[in-house]
Amino acid sequence: MIQTNFDVLFQSLICILFSGALVAVLLHKLGRPIAWISFAIAFIGSLLGILLSIDVILNDPITLGWSLGTFFGEWTLYLDQLSAFFLFMVCLVMASVSVYSFGYVGEYEGKYDTGLMGALLNLFFLSLVLVVSSNNAILFLISWESMSLVSFLLVMYEGRKEGVTNAGYLYLTMTHIGTAVMTAAFLLMAYYVGSYSFDDISAASGSLPSSVSSAAFLFLFIGLGTKAGMVPLHVWLPAAHPAAPSNISALMSGVMVKMALFMMVRSFFEFLGPVPSWWGLLVLLMGCISALLGVLYALKETDIKSTLAYSTVENMGIMFIGLGTAMVFQSYGLTSLSALALLATLFHALNHAIFKSLLFLGAGSVVHATHTRNMESMGGLAKPMPRTSVLMFVGLLSMAAIPPLGGFVSEWLLFQSLLQTTAVPDILVKMLMSVSIAILALTGALAVAMAVRLFGTTFLARPRTEQAKNAVESPKTMLWGMSFLAALCILLGVLSSWIIPYIDNVTESVLGVSIGSSVVDGLSISPESNDFATMAPLLIALLALIGIVMAWVLGHPKSGTERTSGTWDCGTPLSSRNEYTGTALSNPIVRVFGNIYRPQSEIRTESTSSPYIRKRLFYEVHFGDVFERRIYHPITILFTGIAKRMTVIQAGSIQAYLGYIFMMLVLLLVVFR
Amino acid sequence: MVHDMIISSVFAVVQALAMLALSPLMIGVIRKIKAWFQGRKGASIVQPYYDMAKLFRKETVVSDQASWVFRVTPYVAIASVMVAALLVPFFTIYSLGFVGDLIVVIYLMTMFKFFMVLAGLDTGSAFGGMGSSRELMVSSIVEPTMLLAIFTMALITGTTNLSSISETLAISGIDLVRPALFLATAAFFISLLAENARVPFDNPSTHLELTMIHEAMVLEYSGRNLALMEAASWMKLMLYSVILSNVFFPWGIATDLTVLGMIGGIAAILVKVLFVAIAIAIIESGMAKMRLFRLPNLLTLSFTLALLAVTSYYIL
Amino acid sequence: MSSEVLTDAINGLAAIILLTSIVLVASKRMRSLVRTFMIQSLALGMFAAVVAYYTGADHIYIVAVLTIALKVFVIPYFLEYTIDKIHVKKEIEPLVGIPMSLLICAGLAFVGYYVSEPIIASGDAITKNCFAISLAVVLIGLFLMISRRKAMTEVIAILVIENGIFLGAISITYGMPLIVEIGVFFDVLVAALIMGIFAYKINRTFETLDTTFMRRLRD
Repeated sequence: MIQTNFDVLFQSLICILFSGALVAVLLHKLGRPIAWISFAIAFIGSLLGILLSIDVILNDPITLGWSLGTFFGEWTLYLDQLSAFFLFMVCLVMASVSVYSFGYVGEYEGKYDTGLMGALLNLFFLSLVLVVSSNNAILFLISWESMSLVSFLLVMYEGRKEGVTNAGYLYLTMTHIGTAVMTAAFLLMAYYVGSYSFDDISAASGSLPSSVSSAAFLFLFIGLGTKAGMVPLHVWLPAAHPAAPSNISALMSGVMVKMALFMMVRSFFEFLGPVPSWWGLLVLLMGCISALLGVLYALKETDIKSTLAYSTVENMGIMFIGLGTAMVFQSYGLTSLSALALLATLFHALNHAIFKSLLFLGAGSVVHATHTRNMESMGGLAKPMPRTSVLMFVGLLSMAAIPPLGGFVSEWLLFQSLLQTTAVPDILVKMLMSVSIAILALTGALAVAMAVRLFGTTFLARPRTEQAKNAVESPKTMLWGMSFLAALCILLGVLSSWIIPYIDNVTESVLGVSIGSSVVDGLSISPESNDFATMAPLLIALLALIGIVMAWVLGHPKSGTERTSGTWDCGTPLSSRNEYTGTALSNPIVRVFGNIYRPQSEIRTESTSSPYIRKRLFYEVHFGDVFERRIYHPITILFTGIAKRMTVIQAGSIQAYLGYIFMMLVLLLVVFR
Repeated sequence: MVHDMIISSVFAVVQALAMLALSPLMIGVIRKIKAWFQGRKGASIVQPYYDMAKLFRKETVVSDQASWVFRVTPYVAIASVMVAALLVPFFTIYSLGFVGDLIVVIYLMTMFKFFMVLAGLDTGSAFGGMGSSRELMVSSIVEPTMLLAIFTMALITGTTNLSSISETLAISGIDLVRPALFLATAAFFISLLAENARVPFDNPSTHLELTMIHEAMVLEYSGRNLALMEAASWMKLMLYSVILSNVFFPWGIATDLTVLGMIGGIAAILVKVLFVAIAIAIIESGMAKMRLFRLPNLLTLSFTLALLAVTSYYIL
Repeated sequence: MSSEVLTDAINGLAAIILLTSIVLVASKRMRSLVRTFMIQSLALGMFAAVVAYYTGADHIYIVAVLTIALKVFVIPYFLEYTIDKIHVKKEIEPLVGIPMSLLICAGLAFVGYYVSEPIIASGDAITKNCFAISLAVVLIGLFLMISRRKAMTEVIAILVIENGIFLGAISITYGMPLIVEIGVFFDVLVAALIMGIFAYKINRTFETLDTTFMRRLRD
């Protein structure tokens, strides 16, 4: 009885989203009211989705039999624990994004079609739900493609702004390359299995020839890696995510990239059967590269949203490290260790979804207030926008993995699972694992630097421009949306010992091993056995709170002994030009890692008559993305070159075009006689 | 089980307070030894206590540019080092190890740093920014080094719980010594100097703006706020010295509840920390501070050693 | 003494040899290079002594004494004398930056470990671990030689390589016949002397120890 109710819930979720989109498309001329209605629909939808996914994680999978009886087999929708986990993530983020959008859409009032944004938001939501729930390769690819297309439209939403169109087309190209490669992978699998249904494919796992499954693995890894922003396929991500409106950036960076992770977990473990160790090592290696380069590039950005986008690249890298570790363990038959690594990965994915969308929403508020994305034109916003600053601070603490927030707990679990590699017999694996531990630690430290830089440059010291000085706090709905996520950031860490058993349900559905009872023991978390390590996030939080309160009681200045005065200025009045900018702050790090950045810097001086007295000093520094310069640029040149040659056939006369079609027709007839 | 936890908690609190109480003494001893090397008589070794008392009585001046970050930082700083101190074994192996392991300790230190660096930026002074910027560079390499160095010990002993590491090493003794231990110790010692702003990374006794790191960040603090920040930094030095002593050379630590063991443990840790203090003082007397952009050489050296330590554990 | 303590001592000394060779890569001053080399050679001598005690092969004692006498006293003294004579204080900028060199050395050590893994896995000798380290030291020595410019540094680099080979020889075979060892020692001594004199001559001829100037000899 209850089961059918949840079926109805699932059906109504899809219907609600679809009708929400439809209504908004039809009535988009009405502007803001219709946008509000569609945000409300998205909000209701996300609440339904949260209920639904919790039920599935706790109980049994749901299948929705809308058997369309099409050419490619049955098109059914199917929610198991893994897809429900990702649906849960989508809905959590969507709930707060839809609340946030109520206030945020005011930004576009009168400039862009606000009704359309509501429609696209609902469609985007719908496509995300379909991606996690489709049970057929073709349906999956269609949902995947519509997700990409809708997000492309949303990236292009502010199309009249400079650079947005370029970012949008770059995104479109890259995502299509990715989808093409993925399609090849699914066709390959379907060809050998003889069915497009995911049920049949996973039932046949292990029966595929190893060369075929390896080829499918590589195709899927490249295709999904494109979506996940894996270096070197990441170039679109730092361009497209910031170009979209901030509520959409939050969804793209928080949730959409996770869809790639979802499909990787599903296909690598369930479709492609026994995992050879080199798959895991490859994923691990790419993860290390993405994590390190992502955070390093984030440290050089001055655009607040690009910084966050590069940090997404970094965090996806961290998840790949976890996924790769899980695959390596799996290939050596160490299933419970594999489950630990996968659990860490999924928990990190959830944490990242929460804190990254919080940060993008926060960045949206900041941009909303200052009308610029350049951090170096901000500064001092903690005073006019205290609430936003605190909320973003929480997100940054989680991103920097400060205990006891969510980001820390998942990083802790990841470190622990990497440290269990003594169980693996292969020397090459051990070496790569020790290097990955080092890279994970290095990435963590650099992420702290990045979080500090983002907050310090945006919110602290003096305002650097007039806009920053005149900034005002964001509307209430935006703050509510962010507060929800900030609270989740804290709760996910502090209450992680209650949350992890549910994630364990998810890993159990993938790997068939439950480790929940050994990982969580009362308040504390431990990898495998209590002997190795334990950690109790709630107790850490309590101790830290007691510590802070005691420090305040014992050490706060007595009233009357505190006064306010100017910052020490050596006798010269300080202005905002004296304070450190983001570029200056990270300059030492950039110099240390100069081998990776290869910045092109130039110092020019304008001398007076005497060479010792200089009138002006110019310092210019350019950071190109190395991959853009070395890989993508030559490819672009090659293709435009070929395209130029091809223009010869474009004669411009209608007869010529008809002739081409005619020739093709004849050719086809001859070939397929 | 519950009985164990209560004993551990009591000892953890006692040990954390003992470390807090002794940390100014360690600073005093280092200064005294340095003074001897320089042919001076030097201030009394209890001078830091007087400084602290004085700062507590002084007026506190807060910059008018400062936001809430600047104000909460001193409390967070002292709280994070104290929580970390609860997790570290001092003269006995009893500590709150079940609450957090070495990763938690290192990340609590990161929390301290996170707030301190932001506080340096908060007042809008160029000095604060300079200090913060340099601190970020140093800590971005030191932190992984520390983690890797202690991970080596964790792998050798099969646990990341600091107390258990000490216990395992102290009981099974020298059998567990591996090549990795030497590399890790060297790496950890270099990181200890870097993390606590000692020569050759930073000069703790200078107020020359262009050379300093730590002092530049806390430049705007005064009165009780400064007292808390200084106490936290001193405590941090103490904490790292204790970790160095108890994780890498835990022999002598009390592993049971006998009175004799306790006395032995107290004597052992005091001698070991004194050794660390002497080593720091000798280095500070014999070396000059390095140029800022020479620091990466030394930092990478320690990072490489730590990386090799972990790998050597796996291979050898 | 129990065999475990001996094993620990052997492993510890081997680790110190590896550690010093990495420190060599990080240092630029001639004097600190020579000092570090002294420490390394001292560790090597002690290593030989411990192996001698462990195996009971008396001739290794002689080798240990010779190592310490030559590589801790005679050669460093001679090197310092040459350094004083020709006033080289430190290496000019190395061809590869120091942080990068260090990471490369870590990679080389990995290669050493990887290559020697089959031997470690099959061997049962107590010193088998040291073979991996010796290989790493040899590779690091070679890298040091390639990446530096001053002739003096290259002299030290070749001595480091020799130390690595010596470590490997002891750990695999527990020492070659005494006559071979002694022959090697004289070789090293003579090589160090000759190279020192060469460095002196290079300095006199070109007014620098920078070996990149030797390209001029082509014409």
